[in-house]
Amino acid sequence: MSSTVAATRVPVLAIRQVSKRFGPVEALVDVDLVVHPHEVVALVGDNGAGKSTLAKVVSGVMAPDSGVIELDGEPVAIASPSDAHQAGIATVFQDYALCENLDVTANLFLGRELRERSLMRDGEMERVARGILRVLTSRIPSVRTPIAHLTAGQRQTVAIARTLIGSPRLVILDEPTAALSVAHTAEVLNHIERLRELGLGVVLISHNLNDVRAVSDRIEVLRHGRNNGSFDTRNVSQEELLAAITGATQVPEPRPSDVGR
Amino acid sequence: MTAIAGFSEMVTRNLRQSGIFAAFVLIVLLFSLLNSNFLSPGNLTNIVLQYSYILILAIGMVMVIVLGQIDLSVGSVVALTGAVAAVLVIRNGAPWWVGALAALAVGGLVGMWQGFWVAYVGIPGFIVTLAGMLLFRGMTYRVLDNVSLSPFGGTYYDVANGFSTNGWFGGYGVDVFTLVIFGLAVVGYAVSQWRTRMGRIAYQQVVESMPIFVAKIAVVAVVVMAFGYQLAQYRGLPNILILLAVLILAYSVITQRSVFGRHIYAIGGNLNAAQLSGVKVRKVTFWTFVNMGLLAGVAGVVFSSRMNGAQPSAGNMFELDAIAAAFIGGASTTGGVGRVTGAMTGALIMAVMSNGMQLMGVPQSIQQMVKGLVLLLAVAFDVWNKRRADAR
Ligand SMILES: Nc1ncnc2c1ncn2[C@@H]1O[C@H](COP(=O)(O)OP(=O)(O)OP(=O)(O)O)[C@@H](O)[C@H]1O
Ligand SMILES: [Mg+2]
Repeated sequence: MSSTVAATRVPVLAIRQVSKRFGPVEALVDVDLVVHPHEVVALVGDNGAGKSTLAKVVSGVMAPDSGVIELDGEPVAIASPSDAHQAGIATVFQDYALCENLDVTANLFLGRELRERSLMRDGEMERVARGILRVLTSRIPSVRTPIAHLTAGQRQTVAIARTLIGSPRLVILDEPTAALSVAHTAEVLNHIERLRELGLGVVLISHNLNDVRAVSDRIEVLRHGRNNGSFDTRNVSQEELLAAITGATQVPEPRPSDVGR
Repeated sequence: MTAIAGFSEMVTRNLRQSGIFAAFVLIVLLFSLLNSNFLSPGNLTNIVLQYSYILILAIGMVMVIVLGQIDLSVGSVVALTGAVAAVLVIRNGAPWWVGALAALAVGGLVGMWQGFWVAYVGIPGFIVTLAGMLLFRGMTYRVLDNVSLSPFGGTYYDVANGFSTNGWFGGYGVDVFTLVIFGLAVVGYAVSQWRTRMGRIAYQQVVESMPIFVAKIAVVAVVVMAFGYQLAQYRGLPNILILLAVLILAYSVITQRSVFGRHIYAIGGNLNAAQLSGVKVRKVTFWTFVNMGLLAGVAGVVFSSRMNGAQPSAGNMFELDAIAAAFIGGASTTGGVGRVTGAMTGALIMAVMSNGMQLMGVPQSIQQMVKGLVLLLAVAFDVWNKRRADAR
């Protein structure tokens, strides 16, 4: 799915002029980001560029100081992780770990358990869990396996599968492949393509430009908390990307991501 | 997953649980060999009555420990709630249930106080409840004006000492009601085991072979019915045993099947993940402490009823018994792991050891040393077991 086709539709997520500071640190300064359905947007940038902060702002973990977040064209206030889930935003956080003492199903549904009064519907949750893992064609031994018994790759699969609970429209993945072997990385990239096929908008945050080029439709660069370039993945060279990330080039205007407005 | 790997995995995973039950059975056997009185109807009833409040406290404590916290104040809360009931019932002549409800209310308020500091101010439970231990002990002295109050008598006394259901279904020398209840318990156990087994088979997980499965249920049935028969020969079902059974069943459901219980495990397992997943960490923490306070109130009623009065120094060191029960029963010191049934077994081990050593005339000093070592060894076994599992 190319970004030019996607751009003619209403973006699932539009971030306009979002800023966030931590005391003296300007983590985000007037950042824009647009994501359409059926689109994987990669967000790249050096350490401390503000990528995770942006993910957290959109996921309700922290509030922006200023700026607007629109979902399907409507401005929304996202005050907590539960709000974000209600709004159809699902996130795999960079420092996110699972509860190792709980099994796969319990982790998939954590914080959003299916319930009948205050008791859990265990059978139903297991059924849905099995279905989701099948969609991701994953190799998890059983939905009743405790997370402690899974490999790093399998855990990341569970973390990504978690995003499919409910009916998300936007999935944010903050460095989902950072700790993984080549084989497991390939598996995660497959999952991401599966998410796009399902019609979701995906934000992929990564330092690995090979991964980014393999799955994304568009690449957005952040530098020192500011937008510093937006590129169509098919037409961008490694040199251009590196230049934007390291600051050898300045922000090109107007940004292609604004075309859909 | 092959059947062999599955089996060895099952054994390792259940080693702690089966180990604790095996230890319990061994200790019971040992004491029954050493002392012919140990398994007598009177003594079995006595064990239940004498340690019931530790079992009640251990239910709340294991939940607090799974959450990754600790509660050092429960002994003082047992004293305070008992004292409030005593002042109302003994000094002011209020009906027994007013005293009992007031004790529960005080327990709940104490839980809210401590839950507030832990959950909303963010002070570690260790500190909050250490302060509470002093605070509520001091309050107990004030409430009682430094003197003991006794006796409750009447219905309040019967709460922990009565056998209200004795003779409901008649029986000569053997209470039929007791036997019926124990029979139902065995049937219930067998049915639930059977359903679990069917569930595992449906998911192609490993199960014991049929003869082992039947033998396991038969052994449990024989042991439980033997215990029931002994009670029936004595004075039937102690009220306390009924209360305990209801509490254990209710809290097993709350911890294993309710969303609240699941969230306690999640917070203890990984606080950060729970928070980011939308678990309401503060709310769950608060209510876990309120629950502990309420159960301490229940234990306060049971203990003051059992003692037929309230003393300023009541319940001293109960927190340590309850904490030890939870850890002996398999709770993890880092949170996230532990079960109500495990804590009950842990508490029974402590109870049986205390009672057995008392019958044998072992001095108090030695009893304490033995209990201390058992706690240490149980947790050491846990650590060793975990390391071995990690190393694989
Ligand atoms: N909770 C916080 N409190 C204070 N400063 C913070 C906080 N979170 C992030 N920062 C600062 O904000 C800036 C942006 O951090 P952020 O984590 O968003 O970067 P990043 O692009 O995700 O980096 P990395 O690639 O290393 O994950 C950094 O300077 C960081 O130190
Ligand atoms: Mg980051």
